[in-house]
Amino acid sequence: MLKGHLDMIVLAALAAGPAHGYAVIEEIRRKSRQAFDLPEGTIYPALHRLEQAGLLASRWVTAESGRRRRVYALTRRGERALVGHRAVWQQFSGAIGALLAGTPPARKPA
Amino acid sequence: MISAYLESLAGALSFDRSLSRCVRHEVEDHLWEAVAADPTSDRLEAERRAIANFGDPHVIAAQFAVVSLAKQTRRVGAAVVLVVAGVFIVMKARIEWYAATQWAISDDLKAVGAIVGSIDRYSFWLSVIIGIGAAAYISGRRIPQAFHPAYRAQLGRFFLLCAAATAALVVSVISDGVLTALRLFGTELCVGFLVPIFSMAIEIACAGVLVFQIRSLTQRATSTAALLKT
Repeated sequence: MLKGHLDMIVLAALAAGPAHGYAVIEEIRRKSRQAFDLPEGTIYPALHRLEQAGLLASRWVTAESGRRRRVYALTRRGERALVGHRAVWQQFSGAIGALLAGTPPARKPA
Repeated sequence: MISAYLESLAGALSFDRSLSRCVRHEVEDHLWEAVAADPTSDRLEAERRAIANFGDPHVIAAQFAVVSLAKQTRRVGAAVVLVVAGVFIVMKARIEWYAATQWAISDDLKAVGAIVGSIDRYSFWLSVIIGIGAAAYISGRRIPQAFHPAYRAQLGRFFLLCAAATAALVVSVISDGVLTALRLFGTELCVGFLVPIFSMAIEIACAGVLVFQIRSLTQRATSTAALLKT
């Protein structure tokens, strides 16, 4: 299920500002209160794909450690895509919430 | 331990050297940061954990392969349009040069020239229409997360469009070659010969670049499919 929403999750993690891959993963964990513990390696192909789609832009910087680091940021198009994802998600979760509100709890099998 | 992992990942990404270099730097930074953030004082254990959390290099490489294939597909789409535009410019420049030098086809070859000229025109404009269609088709598609059947079908359609555009362009370039030969036929050898010959060489090179690009794309699609199977 998470895989289907990976783009939205990554875009939301970058909404606070530019970040490198490791920081994006940390932000996803922090914002989801550790609920989303994605395999770390899967974030990078997603970051590259979103950059190719024009939703992210990246630049190389030198970190304090002296290592080269790639920092990603949302583009205007990425910001618009995030707004769109958020609206669709809120509509969807509202509909599911309303649906489940009237559903009696499932009986345990005998 | 991290170096060995990075080597393995770079090796799995060897289908795209620039991507392999770039990912290696990115992942190296990630892994060392994960090691630094690990609460354990045992460095080897921290490295092992960072690698385990990152995942199997072959699985990651397979995900990158799909992204890389999508990138190459778009590049080929742009190449089709650029090559067709390049051939058009060269063709027009040669025709202008013929007009300026009043270098015409001899009267007894004019009938053949008219037929070949028609084939040239129709095949060229066919390549323009199909080429633009191919580029528009692929640029309007989303970059997929996985190499799923719908994406394979998209790639198949794009490949057919590119192959049709290239075939039409090759026919046009061959027709240009025949027309050039008809103009040069029976004319005394002079320095002026170099202009049409050089322009033909550019056209042939353009068509060759396109054939090479499409061949590379099919090879990449095959290797991506193979990588995802393993």
